[in-house]
Amino acid sequence: MTDSIDLVSDTDAETGKSGTRDPTPTPRVSGRPRVTGGTPNDANKVIIDFKDVDVYYGDFHAVDSVTVPVREKEITAFIGPSGCGKSTVLRSINRMNDLIESARVEGTITYHGVDLYAPGVDPVEVRRHIGMVFQKPNPFPKSIYENIAFGPKIAGFKGNMDDLVEESLLRAALWNEVKDRLTETALALSGGQQQRLCIARAIATSPDVLLMDEPASALDPIATLRIEDLMYELKQDYTIIIVTHNMQQAARVSDRTAFFSVDVNEGRRTGRLVEFTETAKIFTSPQQRETEDYITGRFG
Amino acid sequence: MGDTTHDNHETELRHHYDDELEEIRANLVDFGTMVLTNVRHSGEVVTENLLDEVADVRAADGPINSRYSELESKVFEILALQQPVARDLRFLVASTRVLYELERSGDLAVNIVKTLARLDGLPSDPIIQSLLNRLSISSAKMFASGVQALASMDPQIGVDADDEDQETDKLTRDLYQAVTERQEELGLETAVALFRMGRFFERIADHGVNIAENVTFVVTAKFPDEI
Repeated sequence: MTDSIDLVSDTDAETGKSGTRDPTPTPRVSGRPRVTGGTPNDANKVIIDFKDVDVYYGDFHAVDSVTVPVREKEITAFIGPSGCGKSTVLRSINRMNDLIESARVEGTITYHGVDLYAPGVDPVEVRRHIGMVFQKPNPFPKSIYENIAFGPKIAGFKGNMDDLVEESLLRAALWNEVKDRLTETALALSGGQQQRLCIARAIATSPDVLLMDEPASALDPIATLRIEDLMYELKQDYTIIIVTHNMQQAARVSDRTAFFSVDVNEGRRTGRLVEFTETAKIFTSPQQRETEDYITGRFG
Repeated sequence: MGDTTHDNHETELRHHYDDELEEIRANLVDFGTMVLTNVRHSGEVVTENLLDEVADVRAADGPINSRYSELESKVFEILALQQPVARDLRFLVASTRVLYELERSGDLAVNIVKTLARLDGLPSDPIIQSLLNRLSISSAKMFASGVQALASMDPQIGVDADDEDQETDKLTRDLYQAVTERQEELGLETAVALFRMGRFFERIADHGVNIAENVTFVVTAKFPDEI
Protein backbone atom coordinates (compact mmCIF):
# COMPACT_ATOMS: atom_id res chain seq x y z
CA MET A 1 0.00 0.00 0.00
CA THR A 2 2.81 2.38 0.92
CA ASP A 3 4.27 2.28 -2.55
CA SER A 4 1.00 2.37 -4.40
CA ILE A 5 -0.66 5.22 -2.48
CA ASP A 6 -1.16 8.15 -4.79
CA LEU A 7 -2.32 11.42 -3.33
CA VAL A 8 -1.49 13.51 -6.35
CA SER A 9 -4.50 14.70 -8.32
CA ASP A 10 -5.93 12.08 -10.68
CA THR A 11 -6.14 14.59 -13.49
CA ASP A 12 -3.11 14.43 -15.68
CA ALA A 13 -1.87 17.97 -16.29
CA GLU A 14 -1.02 17.34 -19.93
CA THR A 15 -3.85 15.24 -21.21
CA GLY A 16 -6.59 16.14 -18.78
CA LYS A 17 -7.45 12.44 -18.62
CA SER A 18 -8.60 10.77 -15.52
CA GLY A 19 -6.03 8.72 -13.65
CA THR A 20 -6.00 5.01 -13.16
CA ARG A 21 -6.92 4.73 -9.50
CA ASP A 22 -9.64 2.14 -9.17
CA PRO A 23 -12.40 3.48 -6.95
CA THR A 24 -14.24 0.15 -6.83
CA PRO A 25 -15.10 -0.59 -3.21
CA THR A 26 -13.83 -3.69 -1.52
CA PRO A 27 -15.97 -6.76 -2.34
CA ARG A 28 -19.10 -7.13 -0.30
CA VAL A 29 -19.01 -9.48 2.60
CA SER A 30 -22.02 -11.63 3.16
CA GLY A 31 -24.47 -10.12 5.61
CA ARG A 32 -23.33 -7.86 8.40
CA PRO A 33 -19.64 -7.53 9.06
CA ARG A 34 -18.35 -9.94 11.65
CA VAL A 35 -17.50 -8.30 14.95
CA THR A 36 -14.08 -9.45 15.98
CA GLY A 37 -13.74 -7.71 19.30
CA GLY A 38 -11.44 -4.82 19.89
CA THR A 39 -8.05 -4.81 21.41
CA PRO A 40 -5.19 -2.56 20.46
CA ASN A 41 -2.42 -4.49 18.82
CA ASP A 42 1.07 -3.09 18.48
CA ALA A 43 1.54 -5.33 15.45
CA ASN A 44 -1.01 -3.23 13.57
CA LYS A 45 0.69 -1.02 11.03
CA VAL A 46 0.93 2.70 11.73
CA ILE A 47 -1.24 4.24 9.02
CA ILE A 48 -1.22 7.88 10.09
CA ASP A 49 1.81 9.13 11.91
CA PHE A 50 1.99 12.51 13.63
CA LYS A 51 5.51 13.57 14.42
CA ASP A 52 6.08 16.80 16.37
CA VAL A 53 3.07 18.41 14.77
CA ASP A 54 2.38 22.06 15.54
CA VAL A 55 -0.61 23.90 14.11
CA TYR A 56 -0.66 27.68 13.78
CA TYR A 57 -3.34 30.13 12.73
CA GLY A 58 -1.20 33.09 11.67
CA ASP A 59 1.05 33.77 14.66
CA PHE A 60 -1.36 31.99 16.99
CA HIS A 61 0.08 28.70 18.15
CA ALA A 62 -3.02 26.47 18.34
CA VAL A 63 -1.46 23.06 18.93
CA ASP A 64 1.96 22.24 20.27
CA SER A 65 4.13 19.30 19.33
CA VAL A 66 1.81 16.35 18.87
CA THR A 67 3.31 12.92 18.28
CA VAL A 68 0.73 10.16 17.82
CA PRO A 69 1.02 6.99 15.77
CA VAL A 70 -2.45 5.94 14.59
CA ARG A 71 -2.65 2.23 13.86
CA GLU A 72 -4.54 0.53 11.09
CA LYS A 73 -8.01 -0.90 11.82
CA GLU A 74 -8.10 0.50 15.30
CA ILE A 75 -10.28 3.23 16.74
CA THR A 76 -8.25 6.07 18.16
CA ALA A 77 -10.07 8.59 20.34
CA PHE A 78 -9.02 12.20 20.93
CA ILE A 79 -10.38 13.56 24.20
CA GLY A 80 -9.79 16.72 26.19
CA PRO A 81 -11.41 19.97 27.30
CA SER A 82 -12.72 22.58 24.88
CA GLY A 83 -9.94 24.46 23.12
CA CYS A 84 -7.37 21.70 23.59
CA GLY A 85 -6.87 21.37 19.84
CA LYS A 86 -8.27 17.87 19.36
CA SER A 87 -10.52 18.90 16.46
CA THR A 88 -7.74 20.99 14.95
CA VAL A 89 -5.46 17.98 15.01
CA LEU A 90 -8.19 15.80 13.48
CA ARG A 91 -8.82 18.32 10.72
CA SER A 92 -5.15 18.59 9.95
CA ILE A 93 -5.23 14.95 8.78
CA ASN A 94 -7.47 15.45 5.77
CA ARG A 95 -6.26 19.01 5.29
CA MET A 96 -9.52 20.63 6.32
CA ASN A 97 -7.48 23.39 7.94
CA ASP A 98 -6.32 24.37 4.44
CA LEU A 99 -9.69 26.08 4.14
CA ILE A 100 -8.48 28.61 6.72
CA GLU A 101 -5.99 30.76 4.91
CA SER A 102 -3.70 31.54 7.82
CA ALA A 103 -3.50 27.94 9.04
CA ARG A 104 -0.20 26.13 8.77
CA VAL A 105 1.10 22.81 9.96
CA GLU A 106 4.67 22.17 11.12
CA GLY A 107 6.18 18.77 11.76
CA THR A 108 5.04 15.83 9.68
CA ILE A 109 1.82 13.93 9.26
CA THR A 110 2.24 10.89 7.09
CA TYR A 111 -0.39 8.60 5.64
CA HIS A 112 0.96 5.20 4.56
CA GLY A 113 4.35 6.84 4.77
CA VAL A 114 3.41 9.69 2.42
CA ASP A 115 3.78 13.22 3.80
CA LEU A 116 0.28 14.67 3.62
CA TYR A 117 1.67 18.20 3.34
CA ALA A 118 4.30 17.49 0.70
CA PRO A 119 4.17 19.69 -2.39
CA GLY A 120 1.97 18.15 -5.07
CA VAL A 121 -0.32 16.35 -2.65
CA ASP A 122 -3.87 17.15 -3.66
CA PRO A 123 -6.15 17.82 -0.65
CA VAL A 124 -9.15 16.58 -2.63
CA GLU A 125 -7.39 13.31 -3.27
CA VAL A 126 -6.45 13.11 0.43
CA ARG A 127 -10.11 13.48 1.38
CA ARG A 128 -11.06 10.61 -0.94
CA HIS A 129 -8.75 8.35 1.04
CA ILE A 130 -9.54 9.88 4.41
CA GLY A 131 -13.26 10.46 4.83
CA MET A 132 -14.85 12.71 7.41
CA VAL A 133 -18.07 12.65 9.42
CA PHE A 134 -19.10 15.81 11.24
CA GLN A 135 -20.84 16.58 14.51
CA LYS A 136 -24.09 17.61 12.92
CA PRO A 137 -25.41 15.24 10.26
CA ASN A 138 -25.16 17.17 7.01
CA PRO A 139 -26.80 15.23 4.19
CA PHE A 140 -27.17 17.03 0.88
CA PRO A 141 -30.74 18.20 0.22
CA LYS A 142 -31.06 15.40 -2.32
CA SER A 143 -32.36 11.85 -2.36
CA ILE A 144 -30.82 9.16 -0.20
CA TYR A 145 -29.44 7.52 -3.35
CA GLU A 146 -27.88 10.70 -4.65
CA ASN A 147 -26.25 11.43 -1.32
CA ILE A 148 -24.22 8.26 -1.71
CA ALA A 149 -23.72 8.45 -5.47
CA PHE A 150 -22.54 12.07 -5.52
CA GLY A 151 -18.95 11.57 -4.36
CA PRO A 152 -18.17 8.50 -6.49
CA LYS A 153 -19.74 10.22 -9.54
CA ILE A 154 -17.46 13.25 -9.10
CA ALA A 155 -14.52 10.88 -8.62
CA GLY A 156 -15.27 9.28 -11.95
CA PHE A 157 -16.66 6.00 -10.66
CA LYS A 158 -17.38 3.74 -13.63
CA GLY A 159 -18.77 0.64 -11.93
CA ASN A 160 -22.34 -0.29 -11.03
CA MET A 161 -23.64 2.64 -9.01
CA ASP A 162 -26.67 0.74 -7.66
CA ASP A 163 -24.35 -1.86 -6.19
CA LEU A 164 -22.09 0.79 -4.71
CA VAL A 165 -25.02 2.58 -3.06
CA GLU A 166 -26.34 -0.66 -1.61
CA GLU A 167 -22.89 -1.72 -0.43
CA SER A 168 -22.25 1.61 1.26
CA LEU A 169 -25.64 1.65 2.96
CA LEU A 170 -25.19 -1.94 4.10
CA ARG A 171 -21.83 -1.13 5.62
CA ALA A 172 -23.33 1.85 7.41
CA ALA A 173 -26.11 -0.39 8.78
CA LEU A 174 -28.77 1.74 7.09
CA TRP A 175 -29.78 -0.34 4.08
CA ASN A 176 -32.68 -2.17 5.67
CA GLU A 177 -34.24 1.05 6.87
CA VAL A 178 -34.02 2.92 3.56
CA LYS A 179 -33.93 0.33 0.75
CA ASP A 180 -37.56 1.00 -0.22
CA ARG A 181 -37.24 4.76 -0.28
CA LEU A 182 -33.91 5.50 -1.89
CA THR A 183 -35.41 8.25 -4.03
CA GLU A 184 -36.88 10.11 -1.07
CA THR A 185 -35.12 13.13 0.34
CA ALA A 186 -32.42 12.38 2.87
CA LEU A 187 -33.65 15.27 5.00
CA ALA A 188 -36.69 13.21 6.01
CA LEU A 189 -34.50 10.73 7.87
CA SER A 190 -34.08 10.87 11.64
CA GLY A 191 -30.90 12.42 13.06
CA GLY A 192 -29.34 9.04 13.73
CA GLN A 193 -30.23 7.80 10.24
CA GLN A 194 -28.85 10.98 8.69
CA GLN A 195 -25.58 10.44 10.53
CA ARG A 196 -25.36 6.86 9.31
CA LEU A 197 -26.12 8.16 5.81
CA CYS A 198 -23.19 10.55 6.17
CA ILE A 199 -21.02 7.60 7.19
CA ALA A 200 -22.27 5.66 4.14
CA ARG A 201 -21.49 8.69 2.00
CA ALA A 202 -17.97 8.87 3.43
CA ILE A 203 -17.47 5.16 2.77
CA ALA A 204 -18.71 5.37 -0.82
CA THR A 205 -15.48 6.83 -2.15
CA SER A 206 -13.66 3.82 -0.64
CA PRO A 207 -11.42 5.54 1.89
CA ASP A 208 -9.45 3.52 4.41
CA VAL A 209 -9.52 6.10 7.18
CA LEU A 210 -12.61 7.74 8.67
CA LEU A 211 -12.37 10.86 10.78
CA MET A 212 -15.31 11.48 13.09
CA ASP A 213 -15.69 14.80 14.83
CA GLU A 214 -18.17 14.33 17.69
CA PRO A 215 -20.30 12.06 15.47
CA ALA A 216 -22.91 11.29 18.10
CA SER A 217 -23.09 14.44 20.18
CA ALA A 218 -26.27 15.60 18.44
CA LEU A 219 -27.99 12.23 18.83
CA ASP A 220 -30.10 10.59 21.51
CA PRO A 221 -28.64 7.67 23.52
CA ILE A 222 -30.17 4.94 21.33
CA ALA A 223 -28.96 6.53 18.09
CA THR A 224 -25.60 7.09 19.78
CA LEU A 225 -25.29 3.41 20.61
CA ARG A 226 -26.10 2.50 17.00
CA ILE A 227 -23.30 4.76 15.79
CA GLU A 228 -20.94 3.21 18.35
CA ASP A 229 -21.94 -0.29 17.22
CA LEU A 230 -21.38 0.76 13.66
CA MET A 231 -17.92 2.12 14.43
CA TYR A 232 -17.06 -1.15 16.08
CA GLU A 233 -18.10 -3.05 12.95
CA LEU A 234 -16.43 -0.62 10.58
CA LYS A 235 -13.06 -0.98 12.21
CA GLN A 236 -12.66 -4.37 10.54
CA ASP A 237 -12.11 -2.50 7.30
CA TYR A 238 -11.33 1.06 8.30
CA THR A 239 -9.10 3.00 10.61
CA ILE A 240 -11.21 5.40 12.66
CA ILE A 241 -10.20 8.49 14.56
CA ILE A 242 -12.90 10.01 16.72
CA VAL A 243 -12.99 13.28 18.59
CA THR A 244 -15.42 13.09 21.47
CA HIS A 245 -16.41 15.03 24.54
CA ASN A 246 -18.06 11.92 25.87
CA MET A 247 -15.42 10.08 27.84
CA GLN A 248 -17.60 7.03 28.32
CA GLN A 249 -17.93 6.87 24.55
CA ALA A 250 -14.16 6.97 24.13
CA ALA A 251 -13.90 4.26 26.78
CA ARG A 252 -16.54 2.11 25.09
CA VAL A 253 -15.44 2.24 21.49
CA SER A 254 -11.78 3.13 21.18
CA ASP A 255 -8.64 1.02 21.30
CA ARG A 256 -6.30 3.89 22.09
CA THR A 257 -6.91 7.33 23.49
CA ALA A 258 -5.01 10.56 23.18
CA PHE A 259 -5.70 13.07 25.95
CA PHE A 260 -5.09 16.71 25.05
CA SER A 261 -5.00 19.63 27.43
CA VAL A 262 -4.64 23.35 26.97
CA ASP A 263 -2.24 25.96 28.31
CA VAL A 264 -3.05 29.63 28.46
CA ASN A 265 -0.34 32.19 27.93
CA GLU A 266 -1.38 35.83 27.98
CA GLY A 267 -4.94 34.81 27.19
CA ARG A 268 -3.98 32.62 24.22
CA ARG A 269 -4.73 28.95 24.33
CA THR A 270 -2.36 26.33 23.05
CA GLY A 271 -3.42 22.72 22.98
CA ARG A 272 -0.96 19.96 23.70
CA LEU A 273 -0.92 16.19 23.94
CA VAL A 274 -0.67 15.01 27.54
CA GLU A 275 -0.91 11.27 27.21
CA PHE A 276 -1.47 8.73 24.46
CA THR A 277 -1.88 5.08 25.29
CA GLU A 278 -4.24 2.14 25.24
CA THR A 279 -7.76 3.18 26.21
CA ALA A 280 -8.00 0.56 28.94
CA LYS A 281 -4.88 2.05 30.51
CA ILE A 282 -6.10 5.63 30.26
CA PHE A 283 -9.27 4.76 32.13
CA THR A 284 -7.80 2.43 34.75
CA SER A 285 -4.28 3.64 35.36
CA PRO A 286 -3.39 6.88 33.55
CA GLN A 287 0.25 7.81 33.95
CA GLN A 288 -0.22 11.58 34.03
CA ARG A 289 -1.87 13.37 36.91
CA GLU A 290 -3.48 15.80 34.46
CA THR A 291 -5.17 12.91 32.63
CA GLU A 292 -6.42 11.44 35.90
CA ASP A 293 -7.81 14.78 37.05
CA TYR A 294 -9.66 15.26 33.77
CA ILE A 295 -11.16 11.80 33.35
CA THR A 296 -12.24 11.58 36.97
CA GLY A 297 -13.93 14.96 36.64
CA ARG A 298 -11.70 16.77 39.12
CA PHE A 299 -11.24 19.57 36.62
CA GLY A 300 -13.36 20.68 33.80
CA MET B 1 -1.25 21.56 36.77
CA GLY B 2 0.20 24.83 35.54
CA ASP B 3 -1.88 27.40 33.79
CA THR B 4 -4.84 25.77 32.15
CA THR B 5 -8.03 27.20 30.79
CA HIS B 6 -10.42 24.72 32.23
CA ASP B 7 -11.22 26.19 35.57
CA ASN B 8 -9.15 24.64 38.26
CA HIS B 9 -11.97 24.53 40.70
CA GLU B 10 -13.71 21.41 41.73
CA THR B 11 -17.41 21.53 41.24
CA GLU B 12 -19.83 21.03 44.11
CA LEU B 13 -20.77 17.66 42.66
CA ARG B 14 -17.16 16.53 42.63
CA HIS B 15 -16.72 17.77 46.19
CA HIS B 16 -19.64 15.59 47.16
CA TYR B 17 -18.11 12.66 45.25
CA ASP B 18 -14.75 13.16 46.95
CA ASP B 19 -16.51 13.28 50.31
CA GLU B 20 -18.30 10.03 49.50
CA LEU B 21 -15.04 8.29 48.56
CA GLU B 22 -13.33 9.53 51.70
CA GLU B 23 -16.31 8.39 53.73
CA ILE B 24 -15.99 4.89 52.25
CA ARG B 25 -12.30 4.82 53.13
CA ALA B 26 -12.89 6.04 56.68
CA ASN B 27 -15.66 3.48 57.05
CA LEU B 28 -13.37 0.71 55.82
CA VAL B 29 -10.81 1.64 58.47
CA ASP B 30 -13.52 1.76 61.10
CA PHE B 31 -15.00 -1.55 59.94
CA GLY B 32 -11.51 -3.07 59.82
CA THR B 33 -10.87 -1.94 63.41
CA MET B 34 -14.19 -3.45 64.46
CA VAL B 35 -13.21 -6.83 62.94
CA LEU B 36 -9.67 -6.55 64.32
CA THR B 37 -11.09 -6.11 67.81
CA ASN B 38 -13.07 -9.32 67.48
CA VAL B 39 -10.12 -11.15 65.91
CA ARG B 40 -7.94 -10.17 68.90
CA HIS B 41 -10.72 -11.09 71.27
CA SER B 42 -11.00 -14.55 69.70
CA GLY B 43 -7.24 -15.02 70.21
CA GLU B 44 -7.52 -14.06 73.89
CA VAL B 45 -10.49 -16.35 74.38
CA VAL B 46 -8.42 -19.24 73.02
CA THR B 47 -5.14 -18.58 74.78
CA GLU B 48 -6.65 -17.57 78.12
CA ASN B 49 -9.33 -20.23 77.88
CA LEU B 50 -12.15 -17.71 78.36
CA LEU B 51 -15.02 -20.05 77.55
CA ASP B 52 -17.57 -17.68 79.06
CA GLU B 53 -16.61 -15.04 76.47
CA VAL B 54 -17.24 -17.28 73.44
CA ALA B 55 -20.77 -15.93 73.22
CA ASP B 56 -19.46 -12.34 73.15
CA VAL B 57 -17.24 -13.04 70.13
CA ARG B 58 -20.16 -14.74 68.38
CA ALA B 59 -22.53 -11.89 69.18
CA ALA B 60 -20.10 -9.29 67.84
CA ASP B 61 -20.31 -10.88 64.38
CA GLY B 62 -23.91 -9.72 63.87
CA PRO B 63 -23.02 -6.02 63.68
CA ILE B 64 -20.00 -6.93 61.51
CA ASN B 65 -22.29 -8.59 58.96
CA SER B 66 -24.70 -5.64 58.97
CA ARG B 67 -21.86 -3.21 58.48
CA TYR B 68 -20.57 -5.27 55.58
CA SER B 69 -23.93 -5.18 53.75
CA GLU B 70 -24.38 -1.50 54.40
CA LEU B 71 -20.94 -0.54 53.09
CA GLU B 72 -21.18 -2.84 50.10
CA SER B 73 -24.49 -1.24 49.07
CA LYS B 74 -22.90 2.17 49.37
CA VAL B 75 -19.98 1.16 47.13
CA PHE B 76 -22.36 -0.28 44.51
CA GLU B 77 -24.38 2.91 44.59
CA ILE B 78 -21.31 5.06 43.91
CA LEU B 79 -20.19 2.70 41.13
CA ALA B 80 -23.59 3.01 39.48
CA LEU B 81 -24.05 6.73 39.86
CA GLN B 82 -20.57 8.17 39.41
CA GLN B 83 -19.15 5.87 36.72
CA PRO B 84 -15.73 6.07 38.32
CA VAL B 85 -12.51 5.62 36.36
CA ALA B 86 -8.79 5.45 37.12
CA ARG B 87 -7.85 5.63 40.82
CA ASP B 88 -11.46 6.12 41.90
CA LEU B 89 -12.41 2.94 40.05
CA ARG B 90 -9.49 1.02 41.50
CA PHE B 91 -10.40 2.22 44.96
CA LEU B 92 -14.05 1.21 44.70
CA VAL B 93 -13.33 -2.17 43.14
CA ALA B 94 -10.67 -2.79 45.81
CA SER B 95 -13.19 -1.71 48.46
CA THR B 96 -15.58 -4.49 47.48
CA ARG B 97 -12.71 -6.98 47.75
CA VAL B 98 -11.55 -5.54 51.08
CA LEU B 99 -15.08 -5.67 52.47
CA TYR B 100 -15.20 -9.36 51.61
CA GLU B 101 -11.82 -9.98 53.26
CA LEU B 102 -12.96 -8.18 56.41
CA GLU B 103 -16.27 -9.96 56.63
CA ARG B 104 -14.65 -13.37 56.13
CA SER B 105 -12.12 -12.59 58.85
CA GLY B 106 -14.99 -11.83 61.20
CA ASP B 107 -16.46 -15.25 60.41
CA LEU B 108 -13.12 -16.93 61.07
CA ALA B 109 -12.89 -15.31 64.52
CA VAL B 110 -16.27 -16.85 65.29
CA ASN B 111 -15.13 -20.24 63.93
CA ILE B 112 -12.11 -20.11 66.25
CA VAL B 113 -14.15 -19.64 69.41
CA LYS B 114 -16.77 -22.17 68.29
CA THR B 115 -14.00 -24.72 67.86
CA LEU B 116 -12.68 -23.90 71.34
CA ALA B 117 -16.19 -24.34 72.79
CA ARG B 118 -16.51 -27.72 71.08
CA LEU B 119 -13.18 -28.75 72.63
CA ASP B 120 -14.40 -27.36 75.94
CA GLY B 121 -11.08 -25.54 76.32
CA LEU B 122 -7.58 -26.19 75.03
CA PRO B 123 -5.69 -29.35 75.96
CA SER B 124 -3.22 -28.73 78.78
CA ASP B 125 -0.13 -29.39 76.62
CA PRO B 126 2.17 -26.34 77.09
CA ILE B 127 3.74 -26.61 73.62
CA ILE B 128 0.34 -26.58 71.91
CA GLN B 129 -0.81 -23.69 74.09
CA SER B 130 2.34 -21.72 73.43
CA LEU B 131 2.14 -22.27 69.67
CA LEU B 132 -1.52 -21.22 69.56
CA ASN B 133 -0.70 -18.15 71.65
CA ARG B 134 2.06 -17.09 69.27
CA LEU B 135 -0.06 -17.95 66.23
CA SER B 136 -2.99 -15.86 67.42
CA ILE B 137 -0.68 -12.89 68.07
CA SER B 138 1.10 -13.24 64.72
CA SER B 139 -2.20 -13.65 62.86
CA ALA B 140 -3.74 -10.57 64.50
CA LYS B 141 -0.57 -8.60 63.74
CA MET B 142 -0.85 -9.39 60.01
CA PHE B 143 -4.51 -8.55 60.03
CA ALA B 144 -3.75 -5.26 61.82
CA SER B 145 -1.19 -4.35 59.17
CA GLY B 146 -3.94 -4.70 56.55
CA VAL B 147 -6.13 -2.30 58.52
CA GLN B 148 -3.13 -0.01 58.97
CA ALA B 149 -2.64 0.01 55.17
CA LEU B 150 -6.26 1.16 54.78
CA ALA B 151 -5.72 3.92 57.32
CA SER B 152 -2.48 5.20 55.82
CA MET B 153 -3.01 4.16 52.16
CA ASP B 154 0.68 3.25 52.26
CA PRO B 155 1.42 0.95 49.28
CA GLN B 156 4.64 -0.34 50.89
CA ILE B 157 2.76 -2.30 53.56
CA GLY B 158 1.27 -4.52 50.84
CA VAL B 159 4.66 -4.93 49.18
CA ASP B 160 6.18 -6.20 52.44
CA ALA B 161 3.16 -8.18 53.61
CA ASP B 162 3.84 -11.48 51.92
CA ASP B 163 7.30 -11.76 53.50
CA GLU B 164 5.99 -10.80 56.91
CA ASP B 165 3.30 -13.44 56.64
CA GLN B 166 5.99 -16.16 56.63
CA GLU B 167 6.03 -16.12 60.43
CA THR B 168 2.33 -17.03 60.65
CA ASP B 169 2.79 -19.74 58.05
CA LYS B 170 5.72 -21.20 59.97
CA LEU B 171 3.82 -21.19 63.27
CA THR B 172 0.90 -22.92 61.56
CA ARG B 173 3.23 -25.63 60.25
CA ASP B 174 4.81 -25.97 63.71
CA LEU B 175 1.37 -26.39 65.23
CA TYR B 176 0.45 -29.08 62.68
CA GLN B 177 3.71 -30.85 63.49
CA ALA B 178 3.15 -30.67 67.27
CA VAL B 179 -0.44 -31.92 66.95
CA THR B 180 0.63 -34.75 64.62
CA GLU B 181 3.27 -35.85 67.14
CA ARG B 182 0.64 -35.91 69.91
CA GLN B 183 -2.33 -37.24 67.95
CA GLU B 184 -2.63 -40.42 69.94
CA GLU B 185 -2.81 -38.75 73.34
CA LEU B 186 -5.00 -35.91 71.98
CA GLY B 187 -7.39 -38.18 70.16
CA LEU B 188 -8.60 -37.72 66.58
CA GLU B 189 -11.39 -35.26 67.30
CA THR B 190 -9.18 -32.87 69.27
CA ALA B 191 -6.35 -33.16 66.78
CA VAL B 192 -8.68 -32.24 63.90
CA ALA B 193 -10.13 -29.34 65.90
CA LEU B 194 -6.63 -27.98 66.60
CA PHE B 195 -5.71 -28.30 62.92
CA ARG B 196 -8.82 -26.34 62.05
CA MET B 197 -8.05 -23.66 64.62
CA GLY B 198 -4.55 -23.25 63.24
CA ARG B 199 -5.99 -22.97 59.75
CA PHE B 200 -8.44 -20.25 60.86
CA PHE B 201 -5.67 -18.12 62.37
CA GLU B 202 -3.54 -18.59 59.27
CA ARG B 203 -6.45 -17.53 57.00
CA ILE B 204 -7.04 -14.36 59.03
CA ALA B 205 -3.40 -13.40 58.43
CA ASP B 206 -3.88 -14.09 54.70
CA HIS B 207 -6.89 -11.78 54.60
CA GLY B 208 -4.73 -9.08 56.21
CA VAL B 209 -2.13 -9.58 53.47
CA ASN B 210 -4.83 -9.36 50.78
CA ILE B 211 -6.17 -6.13 52.23
CA ALA B 212 -2.72 -4.53 52.25
CA GLU B 213 -2.09 -5.73 48.69
CA ASN B 214 -5.36 -4.17 47.55
CA VAL B 215 -4.19 -0.85 48.98
CA THR B 216 -1.01 -1.21 46.90
CA PHE B 217 -3.23 -1.79 43.86
CA VAL B 218 -5.31 1.31 44.56
CA VAL B 219 -2.26 3.54 44.88
CA THR B 220 0.04 2.09 42.22
CA ALA B 221 -2.40 0.34 39.82
CA LYS B 222 -0.36 -2.83 40.36
CA PHE B 223 -0.43 -5.70 42.78
CA PRO B 224 2.85 -6.29 44.67
CA ASP B 225 3.75 -9.31 42.53
CA GLU B 226 3.50 -7.10 39.43
CA ILE B 227 5.76 -4.37 40.80
